[in-house]
Amino acid sequence: MSSTIVIAVNIALAVFLAVGLTPVFVWWERRVSGFMQDRTGPNRCGIGPIRLGGLIQSFADMLKLIFKEDFTPSHVRYKFFFTIAPAIVFICSFLTFATIPFADNLVIDGKSYIMSAIPNELGIMWFLAFAGLSIYGIILGGYSSNSKYGLLGSIRAAAQVISYEAAMALAIISMLLSYGSIHLTDIVNAQAGTFLGVIPMWGIFIQPIAAIIFIVCSFAETNRAPFDIAEGESEIVAGYHTEYSAMRFGLFQVGEYAAMSASSAIIVTLLFGGYQIPWLDTPTVQSNMDYIMMALIVILPLKVYFLTKWMKKNNRSKNKEDKSRDLETKILTITFWTISIVIITLLAIFLTIGLGTNGANIATAVLQIGTFLVKFFMMAFVFIWIRWTVLRFRYDQLQMLGWKVLLPLALLNIVVTATIIVVQGN
Amino acid sequence: MGIKVVPRYGKSFKDKLYLPAIMGGMKTTFSHFVKNIKDVNKLKTMQYPEVQPDDLNERYRGVHRLTKWEDETEKCVACYMCATACPADCIFIEAEERFDDHDEKRPKEFKIDLLECVFCGYCVEACPCDAIRMDTGIFSFTGGTREEFVLDKKALMANERSKDLNDD
Repeated sequence: MSSTIVIAVNIALAVFLAVGLTPVFVWWERRVSGFMQDRTGPNRCGIGPIRLGGLIQSFADMLKLIFKEDFTPSHVRYKFFFTIAPAIVFICSFLTFATIPFADNLVIDGKSYIMSAIPNELGIMWFLAFAGLSIYGIILGGYSSNSKYGLLGSIRAAAQVISYEAAMALAIISMLLSYGSIHLTDIVNAQAGTFLGVIPMWGIFIQPIAAIIFIVCSFAETNRAPFDIAEGESEIVAGYHTEYSAMRFGLFQVGEYAAMSASSAIIVTLLFGGYQIPWLDTPTVQSNMDYIMMALIVILPLKVYFLTKWMKKNNRSKNKEDKSRDLETKILTITFWTISIVIITLLAIFLTIGLGTNGANIATAVLQIGTFLVKFFMMAFVFIWIRWTVLRFRYDQLQMLGWKVLLPLALLNIVVTATIIVVQGN
Repeated sequence: MGIKVVPRYGKSFKDKLYLPAIMGGMKTTFSHFVKNIKDVNKLKTMQYPEVQPDDLNERYRGVHRLTKWEDETEKCVACYMCATACPADCIFIEAEERFDDHDEKRPKEFKIDLLECVFCGYCVEACPCDAIRMDTGIFSFTGGTREEFVLDKKALMANERSKDLNDD
């Protein structure tokens, strides 16, 4: 029974994080870019008074993409390849998420569960395999479109993939050398502890050069700015998805955001300590559960208070007679307070009756999932932030960067890391 | 003649690293983001349906109106000058004889198809009697059918000079 629930929760989490968050990320992308450029971004669309700051807009767009005619241009010669290309991008980006651990191994009644959607030991290899495969969907899609812009986009995607994959894999190798495992749970557990009791022992502090190389390459991996040359809307219309419309285009879009999610998750896992709460490793959390719950009881109302205050200040209509947004603020305030009171009551009940071993383990897992999600969303924000800051690289500049800078640097980093490990081992 | 030496960037090690420049850019965008998310109301964007533009001026060409004498009759003498000048052929005038003191001729019907109209203002310039003007300040004219966009004489005469403009 408990094993079914754990597996179901893991799969649901992976599906939610990889695919279910696409509307949220589309919303973030628009609003964050808007705020960065002193615009508002979409804030109109709503169901009744509920606007959620424009989140409804992405659902409306999704519905529109689903109900649009699934059109195949007559000049597409191989309809089969044309159709499966977006599916490849989508499935590969989605499956990339499968081995990301959301929490430390969960022990219930003496049985240990790996907290990832597909509990296997392949770890980083799985990520490399599927992340590398998703680019083939893009190449295939542009090639089978049988149009010059699609083909140019595909050529660019192919040139891009050979220039970053090598450097990325080499950066991962140097990280694997210092972690000593390819299994992601082991990698995260290797990042517990601290240097000198202050700096958390995260990958980015152990392997700064590999971290920079890996982050740069994973931006290229996700086909997002500054490396979205395969799309290149200012030069080649829309690149590989020029000929696509409706939900096939939607799948490319979802695939892009799924890849962004997966890349954020893998960056967090490899470089930012994954589910590790800074300065608190798993046994510490399990033994000090009561204090952590007390802290949560104090922190949660404060957060909700500041959130609702911010909402009241910002969710206002310029028209004095329009009361719909005040109504929304009221509804959301009541919802947030209800949720926080329910959680606080639950925590108080657990505090009084005690959790037991299983309970403490599950609570630790929930906390670690929360920590992972916070880091994950921060990394996703960085992806969006970079996209709206950095200019697109030119086709040859990316290859120059990949072959002449990142690859030698990654090789040098491997040599240095290996030397240090051998010297320390002796 | 003095020579101005234009500084060239991109040769120093810091520039070649490229990362400090990216960090600088990220700092800028983030400061804008934080500033705007703290108080959305400070954004310059005009929240249009709630806030109406207040910078319409005398030269703004809105929906047309037919000007009137003091006794609420039209100044138009149905000379067809505006219809002739119209590059979009959107003015349709039907003339009839006029029996009051103002003139001998008046439009029985005066229609403007706003879907055809390009709002060029040539009709206003062509008019010898100052009978047609575009100073209503109406910039968004909406309708559900094509027919609703054809304004007749009654509708055109009901339009008034915009309240936002100075009366002179």
